[in-house]
Amino acid sequence: MKAFKELTEISGSRQNSYVSAWKDQGKKVVGYVCSYMPEEILHAADILPYRINGKGVSDMSQADAYLSRVNCSFSRCCLELGFRGEYDFLDGAVWINGCDHIRRCYDNWKAKRPFPFMHMLPVPHKIFPEGRQWYKEEVISFKEAVEAYFGVKITDDKIAEACSVYNETRKLLRKLYDKRTEDEPGFTGPEINTILSASVSMPKPEFNHLLEQVLQETQTVKEGSKKSIRLLVAGSIMDDQGFIENIEEMGAVVVADAFCLGAKNFWDLMDENGNVFENLIDRYYTHSPCPRMAGEYPTRLNFIKEQIERANVEGVILEHIKFCDLHGTDNALLKKDLEKAGIATLELERQYGPLADSGRIRTRVQAFLERIKA
Amino acid sequence: MSEDKINALERMIETFLMTSNLPEDMDLESPDMKVFLESMPEGKRTAFLTMAKDLDVRKMSNAFNTAMSKYWDTVLQAKSRGKKVVFIPFNCSPEIFYALDIIPVGVEVLTTFTAILEEGLEKYLDLAVERGLPDTMCSSQRGTVGLLEAGLLDKPDLLVNGSLGSCDPNSKIFEYMSEKFDIPALYLDIPFYHDQRSLDYYTKGFRQVVEVLEELSGNKLDVDRLKEVCELSNRATELFLEINEIKKMIPNPVPNYYNQIHLGTKLLMAGTQDAVDIFQTALDVCQARLKKGSHVMPEEKIRLMMMYTGLYFDGGVHLWLEEEMGVSYLLDLLVYYDFNPIIDTSNIETMINGLADGMFNLPMTRQLKGGWDMPNNWLQDCLYYVDTYKADCLVFTGHTACKQVWGVYRLQLSES
Ligand code: SF4
Ligand code: SF4
Repeated sequence: MKAFKELTEISGSRQNSYVSAWKDQGKKVVGYVCSYMPEEILHAADILPYRINGKGVSDMSQADAYLSRVNCSFSRCCLELGFRGEYDFLDGAVWINGCDHIRRCYDNWKAKRPFPFMHMLPVPHKIFPEGRQWYKEEVISFKEAVEAYFGVKITDDKIAEACSVYNETRKLLRKLYDKRTEDEPGFTGPEINTILSASVSMPKPEFNHLLEQVLQETQTVKEGSKKSIRLLVAGSIMDDQGFIENIEEMGAVVVADAFCLGAKNFWDLMDENGNVFENLIDRYYTHSPCPRMAGEYPTRLNFIKEQIERANVEGVILEHIKFCDLHGTDNALLKKDLEKAGIATLELERQYGPLADSGRIRTRVQAFLERIKA
Repeated sequence: MSEDKINALERMIETFLMTSNLPEDMDLESPDMKVFLESMPEGKRTAFLTMAKDLDVRKMSNAFNTAMSKYWDTVLQAKSRGKKVVFIPFNCSPEIFYALDIIPVGVEVLTTFTAILEEGLEKYLDLAVERGLPDTMCSSQRGTVGLLEAGLLDKPDLLVNGSLGSCDPNSKIFEYMSEKFDIPALYLDIPFYHDQRSLDYYTKGFRQVVEVLEELSGNKLDVDRLKEVCELSNRATELFLEINEIKKMIPNPVPNYYNQIHLGTKLLMAGTQDAVDIFQTALDVCQARLKKGSHVMPEEKIRLMMMYTGLYFDGGVHLWLEEEMGVSYLLDLLVYYDFNPIIDTSNIETMINGLADGMFNLPMTRQLKGGWDMPNNWLQDCLYYVDTYKADCLVFTGHTACKQVWGVYRLQLSES
């Protein structure tokens, strides 16, 4: 379990040992917030992409002075950490206009505590040929901005190399998810969450190496997992081991997900043949769409249904962070359609943060599990 | 459609008809009138008095309510007359639909007018939430969802959202309605920036929407009809801008009530003769007041501007501000149209470009699609309006749902 222990350490600290070692070599680290950001561009520039999160915040007073109580607690926690200087180890950050909250997080961050390099990469809100062209142009200007600011050259060869490393990560994560589908899942939900958090906070080649070891090491079956109710959890950003742990303690095991930090982020592989840059654009633009993409609800529903089938899921928990309109609205539709398809579904509104509101959530999950058992 | 199903629109039409012909010599102090006023719930009474108390205002409200009763009747009769109906948000212009003989219905305006129903609006806001919609979504669209849930509205033939990216609740609700009630939907993506590249991109998307609308309606866009609609729209814009010139005077001769009607006129009727008639009546009234020296009574003490949303659900607020505090209500930025271009009607290309340009510059779309302090965005426009209309104060009345506004209003305030 040495490799898993290492991943746990990485996911548990902001400036983890890999980030420090990277910086010690004089290399740059750039933060980002969304899965529409093609990390390969940074990797190809020998810059470490680091996914910004809001973990560990219990007091948001600095962020609350700018964002408001109607902004989601994830965006506020991220901003809080930014304002406190906990992300000062980043040499820059790139934002996507993912939703109203996160783009305002960017505005405030930029106005009050800007990084030396701050870039907005706007992504269209629907999938169509003109949108793809727009996105491509934006990725090109992002690439040029990185080259100009950091004084690097991002060649096609380097992008191709980066793409193959990232594809390897995706393949390994799919293997990890295969283990979840087994009758006696090889990993608990919180363990998967730990691995995913580490995957976006360290260099990918090293992560791949560690994950390979974890996959070999973990032959042990989780005690009692066979008796647990198999759940899929989906919704707003989820990097909170405590939340999943809370659910599993009630007699469930999370065997699948549809989060932007989980399956939705890595499920789609990239075509490594032909023009790699074009393929990269296609991969990111059309990857399993987030609820910000209008008209793509049927694709999102199907994705969840496929994951349900793959992992033999007995019930679905749809969570959304309070004020997250994108996931909240999608969840309402998903609940209706999944229930119609005979899949027991629970909708939960929550706050981002360490076990916020855990009592209420436990009670609701317990009642839900009893409903499934009955 | 069953009897009770058409109730919502039918009852709205009745109210508009009832208030569309208030006589010039109406005496609010007469015993009959007193009994009538007493019989009304307080909120409705204030709303009624807002449009009835002052003869100048009464002229405007008569024109507005007459046109509204006609408009809603057209919506009500659409199916039986073989016409298609499309639901649009407030940041989507109606002209192209009129040009294709399709009836556009603004969901926010519809929600707002639901407030005039006897049972009020709250019931439908709640019903939408009971049936699944998050309560953090925009209530100005939620009422329409509630009416659909209650079966008090016919489903439209199509939904068109004109600006993906300036407000998540605004676009997400269209996807929700589409999936929940099985209505086809079209979406126009709006880019983050405000430059030529973005306008070209947006215009392309607009053309694609026009093509689908042609298919849906079975009508090919006819250049003469389009020209007629665009000219009517231009005329309404010119009148609107003329009224704005009068508004810049200190004291301001434009009655506060005017702010209650220009929006519905623009959103539902731009491109029709009715819109021109309403604005013409309003302009005549304002010019006469300017001549007479009438203004906010008894004295204009404060020139107020809302820096984002106004208070659309309170029909009495304008009168109250005027009478109680001498407030001249200049505008709320969410529904003000100084940046709407006059459409070049030379040919079909210029007209389509002009319509797309108009939508690109509609409030909210224009100010909220990008960074708050970018060119032609919220900060700049706010400062422009303050300066142009000589506002003494700015008020922020953010709706819970406007998360992107709440997210930067403190920065905005510190710069304004
Ligand atoms: S949780 Fe929802 S509201 Fe918050 S940043 Fe993510 S998508 Fe936006
Ligand atoms: S900006 Fe506010 S008022 Fe406008 S649609 Fe969005 S939520 Fe509604």
